[in-house]
Amino acid sequence: MANDIAFLAEYADGAPSRSALELAAGAAELAEQSGGEPVALAYGPGAADAAALGAAGAARAVVLGDAAAPAITCAGAAAAALSEIAPMAVLAPATPNGRDLAAALIGLLNVPGFGPVRAVRVEDGRVRSEQATLQGTVITVSEPADGAPQPAVVLVLPSTFTPREGGSGKATVTPAKAGDAGPFGAARVVESHPADAKVANLEEASIIVAGGRGVGSADGFATLEELAAALGGAVGASRAAADAGWVPYQLQIGQTGKVVKPALYVGCGISGAIQHRVGMQTAENVLAINKDPDAPIGEFADLFVVGDLFAIVPKLTAEIRRRKGT
Amino acid sequence: MRIVVCLKQVPATTSEKRYTADLRLDRAASEAVINPLDEYAIEQALRLQEAGSVDSVGFLSMGPEPATEALRRALAMGGDDATLVTDPALGGADTWATARVLATALDKLAPDVSLMGMASDDARGSLVPGAVAALRGLPLLSYGSELRIEGTAARVRRLTATGFDIIEAPLPVVASVTDQVGEPRYASLKGIMAAKRKPMETWSLADIGLAADDLHGAALTRVIEARKPEAKAPTERVENVSADEAVTRIADWLAARKLI
Repeated sequence: MANDIAFLAEYADGAPSRSALELAAGAAELAEQSGGEPVALAYGPGAADAAALGAAGAARAVVLGDAAAPAITCAGAAAAALSEIAPMAVLAPATPNGRDLAAALIGLLNVPGFGPVRAVRVEDGRVRSEQATLQGTVITVSEPADGAPQPAVVLVLPSTFTPREGGSGKATVTPAKAGDAGPFGAARVVESHPADAKVANLEEASIIVAGGRGVGSADGFATLEELAAALGGAVGASRAAADAGWVPYQLQIGQTGKVVKPALYVGCGISGAIQHRVGMQTAENVLAINKDPDAPIGEFADLFVVGDLFAIVPKLTAEIRRRKGT
Repeated sequence: MRIVVCLKQVPATTSEKRYTADLRLDRAASEAVINPLDEYAIEQALRLQEAGSVDSVGFLSMGPEPATEALRRALAMGGDDATLVTDPALGGADTWATARVLATALDKLAPDVSLMGMASDDARGSLVPGAVAALRGLPLLSYGSELRIEGTAARVRRLTATGFDIIEAPLPVVASVTDQVGEPRYASLKGIMAAKRKPMETWSLADIGLAADDLHGAALTRVIEARKPEAKAPTERVENVSADEAVTRIADWLAARKLI
């Protein structure tokens, strides 16, 4: 229906990803504004169980495929499903897979693309997307031009919406129509190295302790790992630390790494260059520890501690454990 | 074997940005550079050419006339030729319109690999490569930390949440690469001189067989508001204190925010 709000629900290892739960809540919110229904387009290993997305907010779900194939191979099925559902908007996670699928949909359906957005709503019957552009120096609000075909494809940053808790209900599931996967179906994984890096998925972490050049070595990151463990969080890094080989690239936060929005970001020995900042600037609370009183991170952190991280972090870890009684 | 690298001229990361009265970026007010992430795509293409996997490297850009400077700079790094698609009807082009124009120009150039950077520095949507692939009906190999040509196929190494995959598709393909392909080279003086003699073509929309009407007025989207971001709360600074004092201040701060 023309008022429905669709969303891409990515599954991994048999369960919906955090982005799927966030977008389910977001689609439900927008559907209330538009007077339609939230509809999941589920893909990835485990997507066959998409009925369970009902508890997260979805009224209906279409299973595009549940193979461990590259997400982009579902683009043809997603486009076909959207042509049938004809929703007002489709929300996509601003992850590499979500961006690929969103991009393919813009081209396959010749529809408008927005984002990555930090807020989206339906107002006056239009999908309005709020985006920080030009390294966050300008906030713009955009909408489909008059006469633009639906749906609006909207890339949504992590943590823009909060997953529902304690929900119940089942989404009505329909399998996607079998069809030609088209040229996107020609991409295939010829080698897979799933556990090359033993790391947490940063996009799922609500507390992140990140290290930069100032951490100095791979051993230095062990100090940060202890703090992250005490806080119940994960370790991240700047590009400098990943380039130096101290941590794998999967931990890189920033323009060319992950974009994160944790409740708490702790930057240790990170100067806060713009390329890093764009990956974490929407964190709810930013604590920075740096030797350099003039580090740029000092201009946008909430709490900026000038000092030696190796003197402070181990003591901080102990103090947090003491206060938490762990 | 031919690669065409798409590149975008953007305002320098550190330059001040302004919007015009009709809410478009005032590009004349900012220093313009090749989108830094496109330089990695250029570097990847040139490395493949040097390794003998690729015979020729071309560059393609869409934008106002001064974008020829970005193309000339790319030619100074290496490669063989460049094409600019420029037309007054393209002002304010959005993701879809940009992809449509690039896809149409690439259909005409018909390279084996249409290569792009992973994102533009200004908009950061990463949407153009996939939209171009869709419009051209070609496979997409995105976010490669390395691109290779293997016979009649292309392969990228792509990071996953905890590891990496090697993904392959038959040529021709549309591909995008990350900043892990290797640091972009600087143009040498010799390269800058050589670039002046390399062929550069300028195409209008009509030259690629598109009319302004095909592009829905250059955009399926419109900006209805542009404003400065909200001012953030001032930073609380802790300095010139002992490590113990700093730890107490941090722990109190965390506790006040219910983070511990």
